[in-house]
Amino acid sequence: MNEGKPARSGKRLLDYYWERLCKNRLSVVGLGFVVFLSLVGIFGPIFAPDPQKTDFMIKNLPPVGFSIEESVYEITTGESTTTVVWGRPDHPLGTDSKGRDMLAMLISGARISLLVGLLATGIAIFLGTFIGVLSAFSGGWVDNVLMRFTDVMMTFPFFLLLVMIVFIFGPSLAIIVLVIGLTGWTGAARLIRSETLSIRTRDFVTASKALGASDARIMFHHLIPNVSSLIIVMATLSIPGVIMAEAALSFIGLGDPMSTSWGTILNTGQHSLDTAWWVAVEPGIMLFLTVLSFNFFGDGLRDAFDPRASI
Amino acid sequence: MKPETVLEVKDLKTWFFTRRGTVKAVNGVDFVLRKGECLCLVGESGCGKTVTALSILRLFDNPPGRIVGGQVMYKGADLTTCPMPYLREVRGGDIAMVFQNAQSSLNPVFTIGDQIAEQVMVHERISRAKALDRARTLMEEMNIPQPVRALKMYPHQMSGGMKQRAMIAMSLSCSPEILIADEPTTSVDVTIRAQIIHILRELKIRRQMSIIFITHDLSLVKEIGDRAAVVYGGRVVEVAAVENILKSPAHPYTVGLIDCLPDVSSQAKRLPSIPGNTPNPLEMPPGCPFHPRCSRVMDICRLTMPASVKITDVHKVSCHLFGDKNGGIAR
Repeated sequence: MNEGKPARSGKRLLDYYWERLCKNRLSVVGLGFVVFLSLVGIFGPIFAPDPQKTDFMIKNLPPVGFSIEESVYEITTGESTTTVVWGRPDHPLGTDSKGRDMLAMLISGARISLLVGLLATGIAIFLGTFIGVLSAFSGGWVDNVLMRFTDVMMTFPFFLLLVMIVFIFGPSLAIIVLVIGLTGWTGAARLIRSETLSIRTRDFVTASKALGASDARIMFHHLIPNVSSLIIVMATLSIPGVIMAEAALSFIGLGDPMSTSWGTILNTGQHSLDTAWWVAVEPGIMLFLTVLSFNFFGDGLRDAFDPRASI
Repeated sequence: MKPETVLEVKDLKTWFFTRRGTVKAVNGVDFVLRKGECLCLVGESGCGKTVTALSILRLFDNPPGRIVGGQVMYKGADLTTCPMPYLREVRGGDIAMVFQNAQSSLNPVFTIGDQIAEQVMVHERISRAKALDRARTLMEEMNIPQPVRALKMYPHQMSGGMKQRAMIAMSLSCSPEILIADEPTTSVDVTIRAQIIHILRELKIRRQMSIIFITHDLSLVKEIGDRAAVVYGGRVVEVAAVENILKSPAHPYTVGLIDCLPDVSSQAKRLPSIPGNTPNPLEMPPGCPFHPRCSRVMDICRLTMPASVKITDVHKVSCHLFGDKNGGIAR
């Protein structure tokens, strides 16, 4: 493959994957948006105004460049006058029905969505990796017990469970993250188990055993690094699902009331679709773009890691 | 003077309990390995050579495999029953193993240097820098060109011969007393094969290492072996010094094997072969496992397993032709 080329440094393999990833335009665009969103999520709230600050004098301001007609009914004269309201540059994305700044709310939402997405996926993938590798490596009854447990977990209607638990324990971000994380590992566990099963029989595992490696060493040094590409791809592709789940929960009113997430904004926006469409549309677009970006990026990663894929 | 024995395999039996029946892959293997010698285990595919090697370090999958009898004595301990932590110390530290397929015996996600250094650090508490230094020395010893560069390579960047040599370097990293080489030259071309044989020979002399060399190729036995044990049907049927095996083979199976050696100068169109196949391990024939294919089969061969008989001090054979029941040597 690299016959004749000098092996420059230990980074060689990563460089190779990076080159392959870069050949997929969509995936680079996806990565770009994810990076942009992460920066916004991390640093945005420091600069943005308080997303919870209400100001009824400027409620329902449209985004810059858009206008709405507002009819004012004069009680004294009995006449209604229509004024055209234009968006103002100090609230570039408009305001909602309570006069909260949409941009500030979207920035806050980015932080919440990414936080929930990363944490819940982190828990799920960690559990999935651990259970999958352990199951494949141990074999026998351990494998049986773990995989049947996985099957049982898979039969739970996940969203219903989420709604129930949030209803019982009260809505908070921690609960949402935990529930999504603790139920979302099943698919990962199965995939990683099957991948590990094939790697476990490869000669280098026997060879390292022959040279004195312990079970733990084989698991952490040989099996997990060899399924790491699968882990990374799965994590990337499962983040959008988690973000959607959190948005859905917030949308039906079971989100964390203390935080402004995209789902919460959507929820408030649906009541004023006829007067202030942007309140619902803007978080919708953000969700759409975020999920799409993660999917593009994940697909690109999968192709880059797949030796059979021709790019 | 008889050199000291470093490893003794006594009546080793490794059976695999499968759904279709019990496979007696190793069924009473006996041999000793002496210091600084190279013992070749010779035999056809499926005769139990590899399982014997794996059994020494208990490397086969359990279940379905299990050692049902016998001992592997090393430094006064029986490796078939010793506790796992001790066995792990022995593996790699005292007895190392090289497999036939170097291509897949190296972890594809780490560099060669990392893998050798890790190997050293598993057994010895030394710093990473020192371990890498040791790795470099080993690579030099293996005649790998530009060892420093090679240490930074991933397995897929190396040629097959380099990989096999890196593998040997890795197995030698903790200076084991015994090296088990399981057909280390099957997946490489003839020039690399010559290099590897050369390296192993050097090791034997320089480090006084004992080598168990597993092969089906008698020409390799001639080149590297001091003694050879011919394995058939999970048992050692003949063991002797290499010259004796090659010049005056006793067991009909060994005779057959040597007849099968291709001779470049010979005009024969067709290579001779031993009729039949290795027995189905699920249905081992009663008596001597070789009797269905043996050209000199006798009635007794179908009934009882021949015991090991000494022809000379250094030549032992398990065949009724040489048993007392037949009145001594019949050849």
